[in-house]
Amino acid sequence: MIDIKFNKRLLVVWLVLSALTLAYLWIDHSVDGGGSLRGSAVVTSSVIVIASIKVRIIFREFMEVRQAPVLLCRLTDAWVVLIAVSLLACYFVGVALR
Amino acid sequence: MTELTDKNKRTRFVPGQPDMWAFVLFETLVFTAYFGFYLFYRAKSPELFLHGQAQLDLRIGVLNTLVLLLSSWSVARCVQSARVGAYRAALRDGYLTAFLGLAFMVSKVLEWARQIRMGNGFGSSDFFTYYFFLTGIHFVHLVIGFVVLGVLVYQLRSAARRSQELVETCATYWHTVDFLWVLIFALLYVVR
Repeated sequence: MIDIKFNKRLLVVWLVLSALTLAYLWIDHSVDGGGSLRGSAVVTSSVIVIASIKVRIIFREFMEVRQAPVLLCRLTDAWVVLIAVSLLACYFVGVALR
Repeated sequence: MTELTDKNKRTRFVPGQPDMWAFVLFETLVFTAYFGFYLFYRAKSPELFLHGQAQLDLRIGVLNTLVLLLSSWSVARCVQSARVGAYRAALRDGYLTAFLGLAFMVSKVLEWARQIRMGNGFGSSDFFTYYFFLTGIHFVHLVIGFVVLGVLVYQLRSAARRSQELVETCATYWHTVDFLWVLIFALLYVVR
């Protein structure tokens, strides 16, 4: 039976992704003063940026894009930027048309 | 230098079948369009969406995300184990991934049931229409993910069937289910 060495890198990746997820709790807590939810463009922008960073980490580390041909690295990076820019644009256009 | 570049070229590889990557990028675009509509309408009438969002429990969302991230980690280990021929470990991680996916699924169904009991059905408000649509369509992808994990386990169980490319293809799909949830979670539970 072949045994495999425990991959610490993947553990660190999971810890970073989890820490970024838990950061939402802190963001959520810090924005609400009296318990009721309040709108905030700063929170929305930060949350979209954090989520995009998480997606890039999943692409590169879990999906092994880090070891893939440069074309796939560039393509997935472009996709992450495209997602983040589109989401921010849709949100701010909505705010402007309020 | 040339030798180094050649070596680099040989060791770099596309994980799984390129067709799956085309599908992943296409699906991501489709979801980005859904998210765009949601954010646009949300930004236009913030009070309405904030009122709906206040009914969700962020802690459940965080827990769901951590479970799905665990499943992604597990399937990533499965791929690495299969690559070096440690098929027992790979199979164990394959089953663990399915178990974590199931835990996510059960938690999602319980959350839906709780919201419906609280009177927050599909048509109760714009927020909940988006909530059920986005979590529902993600749920469909998760169900397909179980078929994909079934293929992965079926492959790993017999020496005659094992194909590393197929294992990687299945894992790529599962990670997509994971990162789509990462986006959905951020947009439904945390965005303001």
